[in-house]
Amino acid sequence: MILNSVYAMLSTLSFGILFNIRGKNLIFASIGGGVGWLFLLVLQQKFKLSPNFSLFAASIIIGIYSEIMARIFKSPVTIFAVCAIIPMVPGNGMYYTLYESVNGNVAKALSTGIQTLASAGVIATGIVLVSSVAKIINSRKATIKL
Amino acid sequence: MCYNNLIIFIKKGIFFMETNRILKISAYAGRIILENGGETYRVEETICRICSAFEIKEADSFVTPTGIMISVTDLTGHTASLIRRINSRTVNLEKISKVNDLSRHIMSKTLSLDYVENELKKIDAEKHYPEIIQILAAASAAGFFTLLFGGSLRDFFVALVIGALIKTLSVKLNKMQINQFFINITGGALAALSALTCVSLNFADNLDKIIIGSIMLLVPGLAITNAIRDTIEGDLVSGVSRAVEALFIAGAIAVGTGIVLKLWFMNFGGGNL
Repeated sequence: MILNSVYAMLSTLSFGILFNIRGKNLIFASIGGGVGWLFLLVLQQKFKLSPNFSLFAASIIIGIYSEIMARIFKSPVTIFAVCAIIPMVPGNGMYYTLYESVNGNVAKALSTGIQTLASAGVIATGIVLVSSVAKIINSRKATIKL
Repeated sequence: MCYNNLIIFIKKGIFFMETNRILKISAYAGRIILENGGETYRVEETICRICSAFEIKEADSFVTPTGIMISVTDLTGHTASLIRRINSRTVNLEKISKVNDLSRHIMSKTLSLDYVENELKKIDAEKHYPEIIQILAAASAAGFFTLLFGGSLRDFFVALVIGALIKTLSVKLNKMQINQFFINITGGALAALSALTCVSLNFADNLDKIIIGSIMLLVPGLAITNAIRDTIEGDLVSGVSRAVEALFIAGAIAVGTGIVLKLWFMNFGGGNL
């Protein structure tokens, strides 16, 4: 499980380089990828939660992590969120959908395809939820200061 | 009284000249963010921030992934507008971060227009990582994704090579200014073809893991994220167009990979690899 998270971290690191993130941001973005994946695995394997719910929870964790890191390093949230999300993007769902449709199993292709769409949607919802809450907290802070 | 009028008159003259420059500089900042993969609302926010920091009375901007429109009204009531067309879009998050920093500084300190313009030029001229490092990064990304999805060590090395190949191909095609759709089709096809060859020559074990690991390089992660963020922010036009972009990229990858898989299975059999 730990080894798997290290793989996730390293692939996030490589993606960070492809996205031209530099210095501290790169390191912390890749740690985010590792942490997110670790959470996903723990939820799925230790707590036996459904794949979609684990994805949702893990993307919330990643969202919170990215918001905090963005405040600390004064950089846009996207830098951390985009990289950390990458390992969770349903590439395997996409492939299996394709594979089944190439082999002519329409029913299987459809069900895998819907599963893939659902997991993409779930990740998106998690991230959006966190950024909306962060915005509420921020505006609260601003009004208190005034 | 007379003195006050004179000051107002001079101020008006300065505003009149400066408005155009402020407009151009804010458009420049917006263009850098948009071209390097920033969200639409960030572009609009940056433009309005820069304008208001330099005492523009009203500033409105309408940004879509392919263009920027700005209209400003200065303190004298003079209105000016500007349209910028965005043709190329890449991903370079470092530049977004830097422009973002700069616009924050403009808000907190009083910076001169010249300084801002110079800084923007510096940011715009910054280079990406060298090509070799990018190719190595793509290779390791594909390799580690293969391991992540349960590939064996042999799969890892095959995916390393495929990742490097895909990145080299896309860099070459990008230089020839070929559209994104075609690049993704060829990338997917290359991934599938080399994975099939390696597995059938017994260099690797899991066909599916290698292909998944390699096409992760092409998957439109940033487009999806930006589409969602834009839609939530209320930039519906941008949100929808980015979602369509993501869908088309995913479709292109599927088409490329699918054609090769289908042809291979038809000619060499083994649909249940």
